[in-house]
Amino acid sequence: MGETAPETEARRLAEDARDRVRFEEEALDLADQVYRVARRMVSSREEAEDLMQETYARAFRSWRSFQPGTNLRAWLLRILTNLNIDRGRRVQRAPDTQPLEEGDYFLYNRLEEVNPSGTDEERVIERLSQDDAVTALSAVPHDFRDVIVLVDIGDFSYNEAAQILDIPVGTVMSRLHRGRRILKRELAEHAVADGASADGGSGA
Amino acid sequence: MDPCEKCEELLQPFLDRDLNEEERAVAEEHLNLCAYCRKRYRFEADLRRFVRQAVTEEMPPDLKVKLSELRTPLL
Repeated sequence: MGETAPETEARRLAEDARDRVRFEEEALDLADQVYRVARRMVSSREEAEDLMQETYARAFRSWRSFQPGTNLRAWLLRILTNLNIDRGRRVQRAPDTQPLEEGDYFLYNRLEEVNPSGTDEERVIERLSQDDAVTALSAVPHDFRDVIVLVDIGDFSYNEAAQILDIPVGTVMSRLHRGRRILKRELAEHAVADGASADGGSGA
Repeated sequence: MDPCEKCEELLQPFLDRDLNEEERAVAEEHLNLCAYCRKRYRFEADLRRFVRQAVTEEMPPDLKVKLSELRTPLL
Protein backbone atom coordinates (compact mmCIF):
# COMPACT_ATOMS: atom_id res chain seq x y z
CA MET A 1 0.00 0.00 0.00
CA GLY A 2 1.31 3.45 -0.92
CA GLU A 3 1.06 6.58 1.11
CA THR A 4 -2.14 8.58 1.00
CA ALA A 5 -2.00 11.97 -0.64
CA PRO A 6 -1.93 13.88 2.68
CA GLU A 7 0.97 11.73 3.91
CA THR A 8 2.95 12.42 0.74
CA GLU A 9 2.27 16.10 1.13
CA ALA A 10 3.32 16.08 4.78
CA ARG A 11 6.53 14.30 3.90
CA ARG A 12 7.26 16.79 1.14
CA LEU A 13 6.74 19.72 3.49
CA ALA A 14 9.00 18.18 6.11
CA GLU A 15 11.77 17.61 3.57
CA ASP A 16 11.35 21.13 2.28
CA ALA A 17 11.67 22.59 5.79
CA ARG A 18 14.73 20.48 6.47
CA ASP A 19 16.42 21.64 3.25
CA ARG A 20 15.59 25.23 4.05
CA VAL A 21 17.00 25.06 7.57
CA ARG A 22 20.17 23.47 6.27
CA PHE A 23 20.52 26.17 3.64
CA GLU A 24 20.04 28.90 6.25
CA GLU A 25 22.65 27.38 8.54
CA GLU A 26 25.19 27.07 5.75
CA ALA A 27 24.58 30.66 4.66
CA LEU A 28 24.97 31.93 8.23
CA ASP A 29 28.22 29.99 8.63
CA LEU A 30 29.61 32.01 5.72
CA ALA A 31 28.50 35.39 7.08
CA ASP A 32 31.92 36.29 8.51
CA GLN A 33 33.59 35.73 5.17
CA VAL A 34 30.87 37.55 3.24
CA TYR A 35 31.10 40.49 5.64
CA ARG A 36 34.85 40.94 5.11
CA VAL A 37 34.21 41.43 1.41
CA ALA A 38 31.07 43.53 1.91
CA ARG A 39 32.82 45.86 4.34
CA ARG A 40 35.33 46.93 1.70
CA MET A 41 32.76 47.34 -1.05
CA VAL A 42 31.02 50.14 0.85
CA SER A 43 32.42 53.07 2.76
CA SER A 44 31.03 52.63 6.27
CA ARG A 45 30.34 49.85 8.73
CA GLU A 46 26.67 50.91 8.89
CA GLU A 47 26.31 50.50 5.14
CA ALA A 48 27.99 47.11 5.31
CA GLU A 49 25.60 45.98 8.05
CA ASP A 50 22.54 47.15 6.09
CA LEU A 51 23.78 45.48 2.96
CA MET A 52 24.42 42.22 4.80
CA GLN A 53 20.90 42.22 6.25
CA GLU A 54 19.32 42.92 2.88
CA THR A 55 21.46 40.22 1.31
CA TYR A 56 20.54 37.58 3.87
CA ALA A 57 16.86 38.55 3.81
CA ARG A 58 16.84 38.07 0.05
CA ALA A 59 18.90 34.88 0.19
CA PHE A 60 16.55 33.31 2.74
CA ARG A 61 13.54 34.28 0.61
CA SER A 62 14.97 32.88 -2.61
CA TRP A 63 16.86 29.91 -1.20
CA ARG A 64 15.21 27.58 -3.72
CA SER A 65 17.04 29.22 -6.58
CA PHE A 66 20.40 28.18 -5.10
CA GLN A 67 21.69 25.03 -6.76
CA PRO A 68 23.06 22.65 -4.10
CA GLY A 69 26.65 21.70 -4.78
CA THR A 70 27.57 25.06 -6.27
CA ASN A 71 29.49 27.80 -4.48
CA LEU A 72 27.18 29.28 -1.84
CA ARG A 73 29.63 32.03 -0.84
CA ALA A 74 29.79 33.21 -4.47
CA TRP A 75 25.98 33.01 -4.71
CA LEU A 76 25.59 35.21 -1.62
CA LEU A 77 28.10 37.72 -2.93
CA ARG A 78 26.33 37.83 -6.26
CA ILE A 79 23.16 38.89 -4.42
CA LEU A 80 25.12 41.37 -2.33
CA THR A 81 26.85 42.91 -5.32
CA ASN A 82 23.58 43.30 -7.22
CA LEU A 83 21.88 44.89 -4.22
CA ASN A 84 24.79 47.25 -3.78
CA ILE A 85 24.51 48.38 -7.39
CA ASP A 86 20.68 48.48 -7.41
CA ARG A 87 20.43 50.56 -4.31
CA GLY A 88 22.55 53.24 -5.87
CA ARG A 89 24.79 53.12 -2.87
CA ARG A 90 27.75 53.53 -5.09
CA VAL A 91 28.60 57.15 -4.86
CA GLN A 92 30.65 56.86 -7.97
CA ARG A 93 33.72 58.98 -8.17
CA ALA A 94 34.74 60.56 -11.42
CA PRO A 95 36.22 57.89 -13.67
CA ASP A 96 39.87 57.42 -13.11
CA THR A 97 41.54 59.30 -15.90
CA GLN A 98 44.99 59.76 -14.52
CA PRO A 99 47.60 58.04 -16.62
CA LEU A 100 49.25 55.02 -15.11
CA GLU A 101 52.19 54.66 -17.43
CA GLU A 102 54.50 54.15 -14.53
CA GLY A 103 53.66 50.46 -14.59
CA ASP A 104 53.47 47.93 -11.83
CA TYR A 105 56.58 48.99 -10.03
CA PHE A 106 55.63 52.57 -9.52
CA LEU A 107 55.06 52.14 -5.80
CA TYR A 108 58.21 50.15 -5.36
CA ASN A 109 60.21 52.74 -7.25
CA ARG A 110 58.68 55.62 -5.31
CA LEU A 111 59.37 53.95 -1.99
CA GLU A 112 62.93 53.33 -3.07
CA GLU A 113 63.30 56.98 -4.02
CA VAL A 114 61.99 58.11 -0.66
CA ASN A 115 64.25 55.80 1.23
CA PRO A 116 67.14 54.81 -1.03
CA SER A 117 69.03 53.11 1.77
CA GLY A 118 66.16 50.82 2.73
CA THR A 119 65.78 48.95 -0.49
CA ASP A 120 64.84 45.61 0.91
CA GLU A 121 61.22 44.81 0.33
CA GLU A 122 60.04 44.31 3.86
CA ARG A 123 61.44 47.60 5.10
CA VAL A 124 59.79 49.40 2.23
CA ILE A 125 56.37 48.03 3.18
CA GLU A 126 56.97 48.80 6.85
CA ARG A 127 56.63 52.46 5.93
CA LEU A 128 52.93 51.95 5.25
CA SER A 129 50.36 52.05 8.03
CA GLN A 130 47.05 50.22 8.30
CA ASP A 131 45.24 53.52 7.75
CA ASP A 132 47.27 54.11 4.60
CA ALA A 133 45.98 50.81 3.22
CA VAL A 134 42.33 51.45 4.15
CA THR A 135 42.39 55.00 2.74
CA ALA A 136 44.19 53.94 -0.42
CA LEU A 137 41.77 51.08 -1.10
CA SER A 138 38.72 53.29 -0.58
CA ALA A 139 40.15 55.76 -3.08
CA VAL A 140 40.10 53.10 -5.82
CA PRO A 141 36.95 53.56 -7.98
CA HIS A 142 34.22 50.96 -7.32
CA ASP A 143 34.47 48.96 -10.51
CA PHE A 144 38.14 48.31 -9.86
CA ARG A 145 37.85 48.00 -6.12
CA ASP A 146 35.12 45.34 -6.24
CA VAL A 147 37.41 43.06 -8.24
CA ILE A 148 40.38 43.62 -5.94
CA VAL A 149 38.23 42.95 -2.89
CA LEU A 150 36.75 39.74 -4.33
CA VAL A 151 40.10 38.33 -5.42
CA ASP A 152 42.45 39.60 -2.70
CA ILE A 153 40.20 39.57 0.35
CA GLY A 154 37.52 37.08 -0.74
CA ASP A 155 40.03 34.65 -2.31
CA PHE A 156 37.80 34.15 -5.35
CA SER A 157 39.29 32.97 -8.63
CA TYR A 158 39.08 35.16 -11.73
CA ASN A 159 36.23 32.96 -12.95
CA GLU A 160 34.24 33.25 -9.75
CA ALA A 161 34.74 37.01 -9.61
CA ALA A 162 33.53 37.20 -13.22
CA GLN A 163 30.36 35.28 -12.34
CA ILE A 164 29.68 37.33 -9.22
CA LEU A 165 30.04 40.63 -11.06
CA ASP A 166 28.54 39.31 -14.31
CA ILE A 167 31.44 40.51 -16.41
CA PRO A 168 33.85 38.61 -18.68
CA VAL A 169 36.97 37.04 -17.17
CA GLY A 170 39.13 39.28 -19.35
CA THR A 171 37.47 42.31 -17.77
CA VAL A 172 38.19 40.92 -14.31
CA MET A 173 41.86 40.64 -15.21
CA SER A 174 42.13 44.07 -16.75
CA ARG A 175 40.27 45.72 -13.86
CA LEU A 176 42.47 43.92 -11.37
CA HIS A 177 45.54 45.05 -13.17
CA ARG A 178 44.47 48.65 -13.42
CA GLY A 179 42.89 48.67 -9.96
CA ARG A 180 46.07 47.44 -8.35
CA ARG A 181 48.05 50.11 -10.12
CA ILE A 182 45.65 52.74 -8.82
CA LEU A 183 45.94 51.24 -5.34
CA LYS A 184 49.71 51.40 -5.52
CA ARG A 185 49.64 54.95 -6.74
CA GLU A 186 47.45 55.89 -3.77
CA LEU A 187 49.72 54.01 -1.39
CA ALA A 188 52.76 55.71 -2.89
CA GLU A 189 51.23 59.11 -2.22
CA HIS A 190 50.74 58.23 1.43
CA ALA A 191 54.13 56.66 1.78
CA VAL A 192 55.84 59.62 0.17
CA ALA A 193 53.85 62.07 2.31
CA ASP A 194 54.69 60.08 5.47
CA GLY A 195 58.32 59.88 4.40
CA ALA A 196 58.50 63.62 3.76
CA SER A 197 57.05 64.46 7.17
CA ALA A 198 59.34 61.98 8.88
CA ASP A 199 62.33 63.50 7.10
CA GLY A 200 61.11 66.98 8.07
CA GLY A 201 60.93 65.93 11.69
CA SER A 202 64.41 64.51 11.87
CA GLY A 203 66.02 66.89 9.39
CA ALA A 204 68.38 69.94 9.61
CA MET B 1 67.80 47.36 -13.31
CA ASP B 2 65.42 47.81 -16.19
CA PRO B 3 61.78 46.81 -16.11
CA CYS B 4 61.12 43.38 -17.53
CA GLU B 5 58.25 42.86 -19.96
CA LYS B 6 57.94 39.20 -19.12
CA CYS B 7 57.36 40.07 -15.52
CA GLU B 8 54.49 42.42 -16.23
CA GLU B 9 52.79 39.68 -18.21
CA LEU B 10 53.25 36.80 -15.78
CA LEU B 11 53.27 38.36 -12.38
CA GLN B 12 49.59 39.04 -11.81
CA PRO B 13 48.19 35.61 -12.69
CA PHE B 14 51.15 33.97 -10.96
CA LEU B 15 50.45 35.83 -7.71
CA ASP B 16 46.74 35.08 -8.03
CA ARG B 17 47.48 31.38 -8.61
CA ASP B 18 45.51 31.60 -11.82
CA LEU B 19 48.04 29.93 -14.15
CA ASN B 20 47.83 26.38 -15.39
CA GLU B 21 50.70 23.99 -14.62
CA GLU B 22 52.57 24.74 -17.79
CA GLU B 23 52.28 28.51 -17.42
CA ARG B 24 53.32 28.30 -13.80
CA ALA B 25 56.42 26.34 -14.74
CA VAL B 26 57.33 29.07 -17.24
CA ALA B 27 56.78 31.75 -14.60
CA GLU B 28 58.84 29.90 -12.00
CA GLU B 29 61.65 29.29 -14.42
CA HIS B 30 61.65 32.95 -15.33
CA LEU B 31 61.69 34.00 -11.66
CA ASN B 32 64.70 31.74 -11.11
CA LEU B 33 66.59 33.43 -13.89
CA CYS B 34 65.58 37.06 -13.48
CA ALA B 35 66.71 38.87 -10.33
CA TYR B 36 64.69 41.93 -11.23
CA CYS B 37 61.44 39.98 -11.39
CA ARG B 38 62.28 37.99 -8.28
CA LYS B 39 62.74 41.13 -6.25
CA ARG B 40 59.52 42.64 -7.58
CA TYR B 41 57.63 39.43 -7.11
CA ARG B 42 58.58 39.32 -3.45
CA PHE B 43 57.60 42.93 -3.05
CA GLU B 44 54.20 42.35 -4.69
CA ALA B 45 53.50 39.27 -2.61
CA ASP B 46 54.45 41.10 0.60
CA LEU B 47 52.39 44.11 -0.38
CA ARG B 48 49.28 42.03 -1.03
CA ARG B 49 49.66 40.26 2.26
CA PHE B 50 50.05 43.60 4.00
CA VAL B 51 47.03 45.20 2.31
CA ARG B 52 44.85 42.17 2.90
CA GLN B 53 45.70 42.10 6.58
CA ALA B 54 45.41 45.87 6.99
CA VAL B 55 41.96 46.21 5.42
CA THR B 56 40.30 43.11 6.85
CA GLU B 57 37.64 44.00 9.39
CA GLU B 58 35.72 41.34 11.26
CA MET B 59 31.95 41.21 11.43
CA PRO B 60 30.42 42.81 14.55
CA PRO B 61 29.00 39.98 16.72
CA ASP B 62 25.54 41.55 17.02
CA LEU B 63 25.17 41.51 13.23
CA LYS B 64 25.34 37.72 13.27
CA VAL B 65 22.42 37.71 15.70
CA LYS B 66 20.45 40.04 13.44
CA LEU B 67 21.12 37.81 10.44
CA SER B 68 19.99 34.73 12.36
CA GLU B 69 16.73 36.48 13.14
CA LEU B 70 16.04 36.85 9.42
CA ARG B 71 15.59 33.10 9.09
CA THR B 72 12.13 31.83 8.25
CA PRO B 73 10.45 30.89 11.55
CA LEU B 74 9.71 27.20 11.95
CA LEU B 75 6.02 26.55 12.36
